[in-house]
Amino acid sequence: MKVSDLEELGFKRITDGDGELKHGYICDLLSEVMAKAEADTVWLTVQSHMNVIAVAAITGIRAIVLCNGHKFDEDTMEKAKAEKISLFTTSLNAFEAGGKLYDKGLR
Amino acid sequence: MTKMEKIDDLIKRVQFYFKEVKVEEFMTSPVFTIRQDQATVRAKEAMRLRHFSGIPVVDENDKLVGIISIEDIIHVLESGDLNTPVSQNMSRKVVTLSKNELIVDVAKKFELHGFGRFPVVDEEKRVVGIVTQHDLVTILLSKLSILYVHDARREPFVHTENYRSVPTGISLKEEIPEFQFDIDYMDVSLAGTGASKLKKFLLSQGFSPKFVKRVAIATYEAETNVVIHSGSTGVINVYSKYGVLIVRVEDDGKGIEDVEVAMHEGYSTAPDYIREMGFGAGMGLANIKRCADKMMIISEPGKGVVIEMDFWGHENESF
Repeated sequence: MKVSDLEELGFKRITDGDGELKHGYICDLLSEVMAKAEADTVWLTVQSHMNVIAVAAITGIRAIVLCNGHKFDEDTMEKAKAEKISLFTTSLNAFEAGGKLYDKGLR
Repeated sequence: MTKMEKIDDLIKRVQFYFKEVKVEEFMTSPVFTIRQDQATVRAKEAMRLRHFSGIPVVDENDKLVGIISIEDIIHVLESGDLNTPVSQNMSRKVVTLSKNELIVDVAKKFELHGFGRFPVVDEEKRVVGIVTQHDLVTILLSKLSILYVHDARREPFVHTENYRSVPTGISLKEEIPEFQFDIDYMDVSLAGTGASKLKKFLLSQGFSPKFVKRVAIATYEAETNVVIHSGSTGVINVYSKYGVLIVRVEDDGKGIEDVEVAMHEGYSTAPDYIREMGFGAGMGLANIKRCADKMMIISEPGKGVVIEMDFWGHENESF
């Protein structure tokens, strides 16, 4: 699926960007994400501070979905634009959001 | 350089870190001795079975009178009689150490006399320990908390050729880093800025994405450690030498109390607010170990941390 397909799933787009998504990953521990997440991943988390962008850029994560209705910091959004990481938010929890993505074929 | 020169050279470079280390901290004790009236064949057998290269010889009051080495045994085998007492075949010129001698002086004695070992004696000349080159190297490494954690090539540490360029990086000092980043911020949310920049730099240099990801993750973890734990600023220097990419992350901060403990996955000293941000899971060093082909940590409380990570291309990553 494409990053833009996330909008159709009901996730609210915060910053621009597109690209092919092959995997999904759910975790709030940054080291764990870096160690395990693959490139072309959409990452579901409740971490909203700027560092998630560094983690995403290093790992090759294309999109971040911030769950449970949390909001991204202003800095985070700025940095995401610079690094071309697509940010989304949702009121769903990570499990529910992940289910939707799993249904779409992400693994 | 000969092995001894290498050891001596290493000691000179790093003696600042352990000037105060005394013989009693690194000698082997208790020590196997042999009585001078025993047959030389006993000494030979002890060497064969226990892999000694030399044994201190004592009198009936346990006082040191000489030392018998493999060389002495060879002489006996050539032109003597193994049934003669040890006292006939041992060397009487023995250079000894005292428990309170400093490691630097011991290193000098090794250099000066060319012996493989020095017995340690007390005021009454009783043998209380022995110091070999091996003891010297071992204390060097442990005192510096140099952790030779991981080497894909599985070569014993002191025998690797690139060793000289690795543990203290002194030889790198004259090299101009290909990439440099000052970790001059204290805000943890900025952690990884240097690693991200390094990633872009390496990609622009034509390194393969897979390789670059490993380097970037390890660098991120090391950078984050500086920001969270050091209480100081730091620097990332990257060198490319002999097909190896060397990333050194250094700080002047408070250092690591016990590197071995810190290496355990899940061990962390990060405060709660850091953990809430998703850091401090105690995975940083483990992540580095996983990504780097070789890593070394040099640290002592109050003396900052140097993490050096070496990377070389794997089969599925063109370099």
